[in-house]
Amino acid sequence: MTTPKTFKQFWGLFTTLLAIFSIGAVLLPIFLNAHPWPTAARDYLAMRGNTDSGATNLVSAIYLGYRVFDTFGETIVLLVSVLGTMGILTRVESLVDASSDDEHTIGTVSGFSLSQEKRRSHTLRTHLLEVVTGKIGPIVLLFGFYVMLYGHVSPGGGFQGGVILASGIIFLALGNPQEGSSGISNPEILVRIETVAFLILVLVFFSGFFMGNGFFGNPLESTQVPVGYIVLLNAIIGLKVGTSIGFMCIAMMGGGY
Amino acid sequence: MISVILTLILVLAVFTLMSKDLLHGVIAMSAVSLMCSLLFVILQAPDVAITEAAVGAGVSTVIFVWALRHTKRRDDDNT
Repeated sequence: MTTPKTFKQFWGLFTTLLAIFSIGAVLLPIFLNAHPWPTAARDYLAMRGNTDSGATNLVSAIYLGYRVFDTFGETIVLLVSVLGTMGILTRVESLVDASSDDEHTIGTVSGFSLSQEKRRSHTLRTHLLEVVTGKIGPIVLLFGFYVMLYGHVSPGGGFQGGVILASGIIFLALGNPQEGSSGISNPEILVRIETVAFLILVLVFFSGFFMGNGFFGNPLESTQVPVGYIVLLNAIIGLKVGTSIGFMCIAMMGGGY
Repeated sequence: MISVILTLILVLAVFTLMSKDLLHGVIAMSAVSLMCSLLFVILQAPDVAITEAAVGAGVSTVIFVWALRHTKRRDDDNT
């Protein structure tokens, strides 16, 4: 009785969505081509951006110089999402511990994960996976550090390099034959790095006060190397993003807590 | 070239919505992210392309696949 109705509702929603998607895909390029692009901000950035912030990559000059507030909000969003993930996981764990008394769950890990030898990640751990991810992990980490630290020159930056770092951390966590044998996939160390990075980020944002530039101000603005502020912020944001996303993935795989 | 990629993104997104097998949907969504990053490269936004490729095609696919392993992959066949 209810199934045809829900199917019909789903079909109506689907056709509506399909119509919106198709109209958007067909009409939007035509609409965008009909108007000339605004050029005031582009010309201002091309003229002043390099001398103001010292960064060759003008995108990093925008999101770490002119619009730092957005980047600050983004790091807070990431922190809150990690908090929410851990809240859900630990709540599942407490529910499992309260409702069932079988030996499949052990107390210190989340409810998603089984005890050490029954964990599904162990059945995934073939020799192929160990060899490939264990070898490719450090290379991915190195590339992540490159993208993170050279964000002011080449395409990339803190967030991009941090996500690449996170994939390297996940590779290393998948590739380790014993759990916890490598410090970089240890969740406690990852959480400590993340929180310390966030604290340093806020302190660096405050450092503009002492040079008279205000909150979010660049303390090196009047010196010869104003780009140092962007490099520092890229490194801190990259560490924070990489450790928090890596920690979330490791926690969802049942590797700790 | 751009319109071809946009059409491909549209087809893959509709397939993601329609697919009964959730794993196929996740793979198609990661392909949407890949096509998006290709589009960003063509539109000369390499920063956004790196982000899209790393987050959309990499990390979120890993998270979705791990979530699928702990839930049911298929829909119930009562529709």
